[in-house]
Amino acid sequence: MLRYLGVEIRRMFRDRRFVFFTMAIPVVFYLLWSNTFGKGPGTVGGTGLDARTYLLVSMASFGAVGAALTTTGARLAGERQSGWLRQLQVTPLRPWAVIVVKTLASMFLALPAIILVGLAGVLTQHVHLSPGEWAAMIGLMWLGTLPFAALGTLIGSLVGADAAHPVTLACYFGLSILGGLWMPVDSLPTALRTVSHWLPSNRFARLGWSAAGGHVPAASDGLVLAGWALVLGILAVAAYRRATVRS
Amino acid sequence: MNAIAFTGVAKSYGSVRAVEELDLTIDAGSTVALLGPNGAGKSTSIGMLLGLTRPSAGEIRVFGDTPDAAVKQGRVGAMLQDGALVPGMTVREVVSFVRGLYPDPMPLEEILTLANLTDLAGRRADRLSGGQAQRVRFATAIAGAPRLLVLDEPTAAMDVESRRSFWARMREYAASGRTVLFATHYLEEADENADRVIVIARGRVVADGTPQEIKAAVGTGTVRFTIGDQPTAGLDALPGVGAVDVRGSTARLHTTDPDATVRALYATGLRVADLEVKGADLEDAFLSLTHDR
Repeated sequence: MLRYLGVEIRRMFRDRRFVFFTMAIPVVFYLLWSNTFGKGPGTVGGTGLDARTYLLVSMASFGAVGAALTTTGARLAGERQSGWLRQLQVTPLRPWAVIVVKTLASMFLALPAIILVGLAGVLTQHVHLSPGEWAAMIGLMWLGTLPFAALGTLIGSLVGADAAHPVTLACYFGLSILGGLWMPVDSLPTALRTVSHWLPSNRFARLGWSAAGGHVPAASDGLVLAGWALVLGILAVAAYRRATVRS
Repeated sequence: MNAIAFTGVAKSYGSVRAVEELDLTIDAGSTVALLGPNGAGKSTSIGMLLGLTRPSAGEIRVFGDTPDAAVKQGRVGAMLQDGALVPGMTVREVVSFVRGLYPDPMPLEEILTLANLTDLAGRRADRLSGGQAQRVRFATAIAGAPRLLVLDEPTAAMDVESRRSFWARMREYAASGRTVLFATHYLEEADENADRVIVIARGRVVADGTPQEIKAAVGTGTVRFTIGDQPTAGLDALPGVGAVDVRGSTARLHTTDPDATVRALYATGLRVADLEVKGADLEDAFLSLTHDR
């Protein structure tokens, strides 16, 4: 399984154009937003963070969610269609291992997405966090990508290769906007605010905001994320099994 | 021990019966061809054998275990019909990766040599010609040194030269005492490469025997003529004739020796019109075999 993980990560990073866009888009958006809105005084949405740090976490979240989703759904669906995964099915590799490996591999692409936005913040916006805050933020956010990677493998197991891309994008933007990654949750209508409260994307960003502010994140944030990861992971394994064995 | 045992296996997709009822056993160490026209149920049977498809009824055993267990233990290697290669990896990486999934694989260089891939090892696996890609897929099938090798129409994308070379390599692998089951719709491939040929048509076994026996039954050629309303009795006794198929006023004789059959046919005193001699038309031969049942 470790060997498979290595192969998957290598394959992912070999797709240069794809890696470039996954890494570049959140950085570009961060620079755009922080130059537009990041100069104001005061703090945002009760997080105690100034706007440019708040936006840094938001866009790092946006990038990490995007990396986790786009490296899983369409790829998995494509490999199911091409017959490569059928070929793997007649080897001793177990079906659940495919889902676990795809999930972990996509988390490896999410890590540089988080770090690059952080770097852009330090270099261009003079965001200042202590080493401990950086480590906590990056580490927690990395772990927090798990439910999104699981969601991606679920999409890849459920829908065909043609539909996987649009479905992934819909989930990506839906989660980003409703989760408060594009604008603070407070600016959403009340009904949506409740939805947002339970979304993994919102809890994910909260992990980052807390860590960046030097606070210990709320246990409920971790629990909600773990719950999503567990449910989506189980569904993904079940959907994958159903998709690969013709009954 | 039996390498493969099918007991009362059937498979339906909705109202379509892909496999009617399959009972067969295959000895360990033998090379068996599953011969039949397109849509006969070959791929469905192979899918069930590999655990990719669940049978609607009956039981399948591979080395005494369920197909899933046999695959999990690394006893099975397979070359599927539509198994595309994964993008972004070299030939060596693909083979080495699949090899690593098996508990007791063949040495990497040996696999590359046996599959004739040594020169292509550094190439990207997704940028190969059809025949080259088939060689990589053969390599992944044998990489784990499986006791049972299953090949589903392995030469479909190959030219004549590649086919010849492919079968030589398959025989080399089979010679080490392993069991090989391959599906084909070419009688010649079955004849030249298998110890035993199982003919299936419309989801049933219609003939089972050595290549010689099968050839005798389905013939290597077809003699076709207009018989009109003359009696057909005795046609099946003509030299070389394995099966007789009369439809309307046309008679088809499936024969292993078209020359002898034609000579004897004129000697019967029948009025023979519109005589036509063709090479074996397997499709027709299969149909006549199914009619006999």
